[in-house]
Amino acid sequence: MRIRTVIEWLVLFLLQIFLFNNLQFWGLCQPQVYVVCLLMMPIVLPRWADMLIGFGIGLVMDILCNSIGVHTAACVLLMYLRQPLIASLVQEHERLTGEISWQTVSPETFIKYAAVLICIHQLTISMLAAWSFRHFGMTLLQFMISATLNILLILGYNLIRRQ
Amino acid sequence: MQSLLKFIQKYSNFLIFIILEVVAFLLFASYNEYPKSSFLSTSNAIVAFNYQVADDISSYFRLRKVNEQLQEENADLRSQIAELQNIVEDSIEKAAYHYSHLDYECIPAKVIQLSTNKQHNFLTINKGRRDSLYQGMGVRNREGVVGIVSNVSEHFAVVIPIINTNSKISAKFLKNGYYGTIEWDGKDYRYAELKDVASHLSVESGDTIVTSGLSPIFPENIPLAVVESAVLREGASYYTIKVKLQTDFRKLNYVQLIDNHTFIEEKMLSDQHAN
Repeated sequence: MRIRTVIEWLVLFLLQIFLFNNLQFWGLCQPQVYVVCLLMMPIVLPRWADMLIGFGIGLVMDILCNSIGVHTAACVLLMYLRQPLIASLVQEHERLTGEISWQTVSPETFIKYAAVLICIHQLTISMLAAWSFRHFGMTLLQFMISATLNILLILGYNLIRRQ
Repeated sequence: MQSLLKFIQKYSNFLIFIILEVVAFLLFASYNEYPKSSFLSTSNAIVAFNYQVADDISSYFRLRKVNEQLQEENADLRSQIAELQNIVEDSIEKAAYHYSHLDYECIPAKVIQLSTNKQHNFLTINKGRRDSLYQGMGVRNREGVVGIVSNVSEHFAVVIPIINTNSKISAKFLKNGYYGTIEWDGKDYRYAELKDVASHLSVESGDTIVTSGLSPIFPENIPLAVVESAVLREGASYYTIKVKLQTDFRKLNYVQLIDNHTFIEEKMLSDQHAN
């Protein structure tokens, strides 16, 4: 992992905390851009280590957002599903040692991979944060808008990096 | 034994996944209702310090606005002083009566972090146990009620604002004194709902809602909201009332904590009665 990547991820974290957590948009939009770090992390560690990293990052996000447990649960789930998903999408996944991005796997595969995981992650967060079916329509709408925006942001981030 | 080890080895990833998820859910279940831990929230010293630094930087960009607010507040206070002077001059007994009801002090604090776009919103302020804050204190600002202190660390505190779906604040109509409860539905940070208002009362848009004074958290008559619309569904015994909150949570900057000297005494009494 290069130092530049680490700095980029730190910037993403700060953006998440100070910009994206404060977006209003009628309470319908809470993109979780920090997920980029989890999605693009190279597959070199065993799954249990991946999950522990997810747990740690989720817990930090939770403490920062006063939403204890929500991000933790979503990140652990994401990290649990990440490696099997890559294995099913990329045929020679054993050769994949660098970070997972637009370039290392094909753009089409990356979009599929990111979309599935972001949807699962965002749905977990939206459902847990609401924790009731009282305003289910609103929760669902919030999930859809946030997930869409999140996918677009992550693709945008990949495009910028390519240049 | 061997087969058990084999089983664990085979499903180790799944087991670790389950364990981590269970831990996450336990944390979620124990803290979501009413976050008590100051370690696992933004009143955690390290986290709050970072937010404070960020706020120090960003507050430079709001100085003009804050100045205007302070000037307005000054003007308000001046007019209040004038009013009070009139009261004192008019009748000393009357003033003494007012004084006996002002059995609380205000502690100023600055908001260093806040969210308005979730269902469970919180705000962090830069005063803590060292400044004699305690759990359950009422928080207000110039405009009206903000919320209630939920947990306190040495230098910081977390507040549950009205715009948190777990918040419930006892309220009444200023015009006739009928009681209700202000709750938030999790949608728009500018509006909330007033519940438990019986159908035989007359409610009009523009009516002012203030704190009821029924709980020791807030003294009576602090502005809360203004009725936006009141609908009485057919056959319903209670109104569905949408109210516009007086406090603008997006522009929240400085708040005051209400230190009610008789809080502990009143709370103990009501708790004893509840048991």
